Amino acid sequence: MVNPPKLEQYQYDMERCIHCGGCRWVDHIYTPGVRFGVKCPSIARFEFDEYAAYGREEIGLALLKGELDYSPRFIDAVFQCQLCGACDAGCKRNLDLEPLLTLETLRARCVADGQGPLPAHKKVADNIAKTHNRYGSPHKNRPQWLADDIKPAAKADMLYFVGCASSYTATSLAQATARILQASGAEFMLLGGEECCGYPLYATGQVDAFIKQMERNLEALKKSGASTVIVNCAECYKTWRVDYPKVLGKSTADMGFTVMHIVEYVDQQLKDGKIKFKNPVEMKLTYHDSCNLGRLSEPSIYWEGTRGKYGCLEPSKEYRRGTYGIYQPPRDILAAIPGVELVEMYRHHENTWCCGAGGGVRDANKDFALWTAQDRLEEAQDVGAEAIVSACPYCKENFSEAIKNGKEKLKAYDIVELIAQAMKVRGGKR
Amino acid sequence: MSIAREAYRALESIVGPEHISEDPVTCRAYRTKSYRRETAYETICMAPECVVMPKTTDEVQRIVRVCNRYKVPYTPTSTYWYATSSPKKPNELMIDLKRMNKLEINDKHMYAIVESGVVYGQLQQEALDRGLYTMVSGGGSQVSVICNHINQGWSPLNYRTGLIGRRTLGIEWVLPDGEILRLGSLALNEDDYSWGEGIGPDLRGILRGASGWMGAMGIVTRLATKLIPFQPERLEPTGISPDTTLMLPQNRIRWYNFNLPNRESLERAMYELGWHEIAAAATKVPVLWRYIARAKSKEDFWRLWSQVTPEEIASTHILRILVVGYTSEEQLDYEERVLMDIMERLGGEFRRTKPSDESWIKNADSAGMWWMTGGYVSIEYVIETIQHGVKQGVAIADLKKKFVPPLVNDFGDPGWFQAVELGHGDYSEFLTYWDPDDKEYYKADQMYLETMKLNIDKGFYSSFLNAQPIWLTGPAFGPNYHLWQIRVKKAFDSDNLSNPPGLECYDEIVERSDHLTRDWEKGSMEEVV
Amino acid sequence: MEIKEKLAKIVGAKYVLDKPGALEVYSQDYSLTAPMAPSYAVQPQSSQEISQIVKLADEFRLPLVPSSSGVHFYGASIPSQGGIVLDLSRMNRILEVNTLDRIIRLEPGVIWQQAQAEVNKHEGTIISPLFVHPRRSVVTDYLEREVPTSPVYEYAEPLLSMEVVWANGDIFRTGSASAPGYPDSPSKGANPQGPGLDFFRLLQGAQGTMGIVTWAAVKYEYLSLLNKVYFMPFKKLEDAIEPIYKIQRMVIGNESFLINSLDLATVLAEKWPQDFDKLRETLPPWTLVLVIASSRGRPEEKIQYQEEALKDLNSKFMKIEMLTSLPGVPGLEKKLPGMLRNPWPEKETYWRLRNKGGWQNLFFITMPEKVPGFHATFTQVAAKYGYPVAEVGCYVQPIERARACRCEFSCYYDPADMAERKKIGELYAEAARSLLNQGAYFTQPYGVLADMVYSRATGYVAALKKVKKIFDPHNIMNPGKLCF
Repeated sequence: MVNPPKLEQYQYDMERCIHCGGCRWVDHIYTPGVRFGVKCPSIARFEFDEYAAYGREEIGLALLKGELDYSPRFIDAVFQCQLCGACDAGCKRNLDLEPLLTLETLRARCVADGQGPLPAHKKVADNIAKTHNRYGSPHKNRPQWLADDIKPAAKADMLYFVGCASSYTATSLAQATARILQASGAEFMLLGGEECCGYPLYATGQVDAFIKQMERNLEALKKSGASTVIVNCAECYKTWRVDYPKVLGKSTADMGFTVMHIVEYVDQQLKDGKIKFKNPVEMKLTYHDSCNLGRLSEPSIYWEGTRGKYGCLEPSKEYRRGTYGIYQPPRDILAAIPGVELVEMYRHHENTWCCGAGGGVRDANKDFALWTAQDRLEEAQDVGAEAIVSACPYCKENFSEAIKNGKEKLKAYDIVELIAQAMKVRGGKR
Repeated sequence: MSIAREAYRALESIVGPEHISEDPVTCRAYRTKSYRRETAYETICMAPECVVMPKTTDEVQRIVRVCNRYKVPYTPTSTYWYATSSPKKPNELMIDLKRMNKLEINDKHMYAIVESGVVYGQLQQEALDRGLYTMVSGGGSQVSVICNHINQGWSPLNYRTGLIGRRTLGIEWVLPDGEILRLGSLALNEDDYSWGEGIGPDLRGILRGASGWMGAMGIVTRLATKLIPFQPERLEPTGISPDTTLMLPQNRIRWYNFNLPNRESLERAMYELGWHEIAAAATKVPVLWRYIARAKSKEDFWRLWSQVTPEEIASTHILRILVVGYTSEEQLDYEERVLMDIMERLGGEFRRTKPSDESWIKNADSAGMWWMTGGYVSIEYVIETIQHGVKQGVAIADLKKKFVPPLVNDFGDPGWFQAVELGHGDYSEFLTYWDPDDKEYYKADQMYLETMKLNIDKGFYSSFLNAQPIWLTGPAFGPNYHLWQIRVKKAFDSDNLSNPPGLECYDEIVERSDHLTRDWEKGSMEEVV
Repeated sequence: MEIKEKLAKIVGAKYVLDKPGALEVYSQDYSLTAPMAPSYAVQPQSSQEISQIVKLADEFRLPLVPSSSGVHFYGASIPSQGGIVLDLSRMNRILEVNTLDRIIRLEPGVIWQQAQAEVNKHEGTIISPLFVHPRRSVVTDYLEREVPTSPVYEYAEPLLSMEVVWANGDIFRTGSASAPGYPDSPSKGANPQGPGLDFFRLLQGAQGTMGIVTWAAVKYEYLSLLNKVYFMPFKKLEDAIEPIYKIQRMVIGNESFLINSLDLATVLAEKWPQDFDKLRETLPPWTLVLVIASSRGRPEEKIQYQEEALKDLNSKFMKIEMLTSLPGVPGLEKKLPGMLRNPWPEKETYWRLRNKGGWQNLFFITMPEKVPGFHATFTQVAAKYGYPVAEVGCYVQPIERARACRCEFSCYYDPADMAERKKIGELYAEAARSLLNQGAYFTQPYGVLADMVYSRATGYVAALKKVKKIFDPHNIMNPGKLCF
């Protein structure tokens, strides 16, 4: 996508959808049966076809052709979705169309036409504009998560990008992450005056605002001199790694810096013997693949060309199908923790069921976000897990709230909490 | 346009306001593309005026009664995989059955009761978990089990599981007028789905035929289907999309590929498997599919396919055989020995194959059929004998030459065929592909129509009789099967409200299409008494 | 012209019967059904003749009752409202043996011994009902959904395409035989489904009420040359049930059935009645029979893997006695497969009739686990009518790997004893009612069962009548049967 994104770019994808439902169902190879057999929360919750990728492609096409106008239902259908990418991975199992890019573009088109986003999304955008974080909290409070024992370097090759959630609402995760880095001997710096990565803007089609935010962050990174951005948030990860280059019309590899999630780092350190897990964590756990760390995290590969006979692309393009997401590192980490019994849910890897928080849904429709989380908790409970572990503060936040509201006797953790505990660094939580 | 307010209010009171919508956005979403929409079906398909989503049979029945009272035409849909699931008349109500997704399995007596929204992948996994199996149809794992049972129902696993019409048991069916008809043991005991026949004459006889009513005969809300004993080992799902697969327990399940010297020996081999009562499936797939399986992308496919030669097609006679040790590992070993004996006699050359299954046990890669061209239609599929399948495939391949291009050239490959019912029968299917943006795209429709004329001329059977103009097929087959079907339709749906135009759907398509010409006499349903 | 002359014009005077003596044979059968003579019996030899007869019957609104082989046990061919009996015994041609696809095409007058002899020539056998009567019509047995002894073929149901003459006289081919030009066409009639409707389903279980079937294509299977028979004796019926499920679920064996000592003695007695009495004392109360059969390739090896699996299953889960010969019946293990794959020898009295000359069975579809409950009910009713419980025959036929079973109870009686006939009739009706209440599924409701069953299935009956009206608007096809 190059700004401004054009819906016309995806006309082929909208026209070629054949309604196979690959966007809705869990890959047949992995489907467990009726229960937990759907991977798209939007169609599962709202049921009418405009809430599935195949329906959105039809209404998008109708909009493009001038056969359908904006209406509250249209906007609802476009925004009641976590952009979790389940549809995209499913479609590319069968057809290699681009339902996720289509929907992102459709959101951008709504915004460009003054029809979107939803009021709650505008509020978040205002917050980011004014306070540089999604919550509207004072920017000066951003570094308050820093505990006395955490000593970032003034200058380092590795930059820990903390993100809004870990800076403000889930500070223990930032602390755990920083302590893990310290305990492993890594030197890291922080971005003075760190701001939101821009995920809430991009996900809700507010592309102009996003670009401004991106430019500020890239400029700040450049100034820092760091070459590796490490994050503990899946949204930040995907934004830095995928969306920045995508919007810039670049490939991730050409951005001049590396983006790393803490699980990648820890996994490598473990395998190199630089980190050891000594402290047992006696628990039966299941790992929840965050959408943005899993199927959506493949590097952006810039493509420019034309479509020819049979829709073939010239030159060929590397499809992002969710195949190479970050799936194994967190599992290897958890498996290496003494005492942990790791069980897999039915929907995992590219078939994961979203926690419910993404795509602006938690901001605009908390009920839907929590409904989605609740479904995941039931799945975790169904496989006998005592706790659900993710690698994104937003997943944990959403699960925790759903647990509070629901009947499940589960616990929700972020993986850095368990790593910290296993490494016996402060900030670990049980 | 919209449906009558009285009707809308009645429907709303049945399902509640949250499960009905006449918003243009909803209606447009239900005008989605689906199988065959890129063909002449496009001339007839339209968006509904209202969509309703029942949860129970009782709701379905009340909805259908409202439709009858207010003369609202309705189209039932579950997974909406076929263009016939699309409304084709103004002011139609679409009855979306996806909320009806209950599945129960009677393990001991080996049957599953499904509602309309349950899909094959789900049923198959639940069956496999119990050491049982069903076949996943060519339509794919994402296809509604009920819909497929009353419409199509073929896959290589039919080799053992038999024709799908033999596998349906108790059925709950809301007739076009809203009456509920319960078939089989259900007719006597409302909770007994275990048996399909009777009482006396078996009214499953009006349920489908070779390929069903396509929604023009009311709505089947619950159906029990037989499950078949399989083997106890787990088929392990592995891989990440797009390369996900089921790893087969090699002590119990194995695929074998043999390249036979010629078409005759391939046909003979297929017969011999049945005569020896071995194997779990035996199928000859088009060479094109092998290239699809190998390709990493659409672009990669075309790079590979552009190198294929007519000689390669003519000399490739690969028979793909699945062997299962249902009883024991020793059964598998025994069948392998018999298989090798047969292949040695026939000169079959063993080819390496993967210890996994991507295509048939749980899937059928139907959606992938569109992947490399964007346009696909099965011109013909049919259950008959192996010899029939081979002859029909050759004849259609010959016919196809007239339509290449725009149809993709597969150099006379006679299509896909496989043995069913231990070789007593055969399932064959002839697939064609094209670029929907080709200005001569309509030639796919022309070939479709020509194929039926070929069938009539040469005496081939077809499962597409009702998906072709019935005034063309009707007089030829039976003869005059269409008159009986019209009478049944009129007896049960006198106002033709259930998915109109119903039986005359393709006749109407031919009338509307600029590219199709009627050269047969067209009768009138009204005049059939 | 009188009807008789018109009929004679169609089939030839020789084949029109109207003398009381000649018609008597059509007025009764082996059942307790009240006799009723037709006005005429005609013996056509072709579909075209039948078509003309049907048109005539329709014109005069005369009932038309098909009778295929002349051996009837359920009263279905007795013309309960008079009319014309269409005696199809002259239509006894085997029209085609298709050895490639293993299909035989038969007219309805072809009887079991004729058909099996033909397919035997090609190493084939048509899977058949238990010790089937040699003169029964193969087509009728499968139209009436008789259950074969082999639950092995997962696809079940041997019946394929057929030809039918409808009540309006139209001659129609069902299934893939509907293809133009059949039989001189690539289509071989191997697909029963279609065209348009599954006509074959409407004709099955219809007792000729929907149309007259004039030929049918039927699958045949490989006739195993090597067999191994297992007899599993049980003192109690209940103990035999789980082994049925376990063995069938493991996909072991071909023919298999459970039979009580009375029925088995009736079958096995060579010298009557000495052997019969002796066998009744020596045979186990219940015997589960399992025939493990070879296939065309490596016959010994096929037997071997199944035997190993059976023994393994038994040692792990069943722990039952499994005998390879039946005590007191030497050599049965060698003889039995042949007995099961051939009709009952014509020179011997049919086994069902050996005991007392009369036989009344009550059969239905159920699940094996429910059989003991049904058995208890049936014997209670029998006792109530003074019928000795020890004289109740019972045969349980697992279907499709024991997904279900056909359960049959038999009473034997002296057909000349009117009081006994009456008693058996009453017993039969009460037992049927009780079993129905208990969940028995009577898919073939012959005679008095029809009202009993259909009165509980009003929705089905309404639809059935609608369909009947389409195919036979004047109700000339075997009226008075089923719900018509």
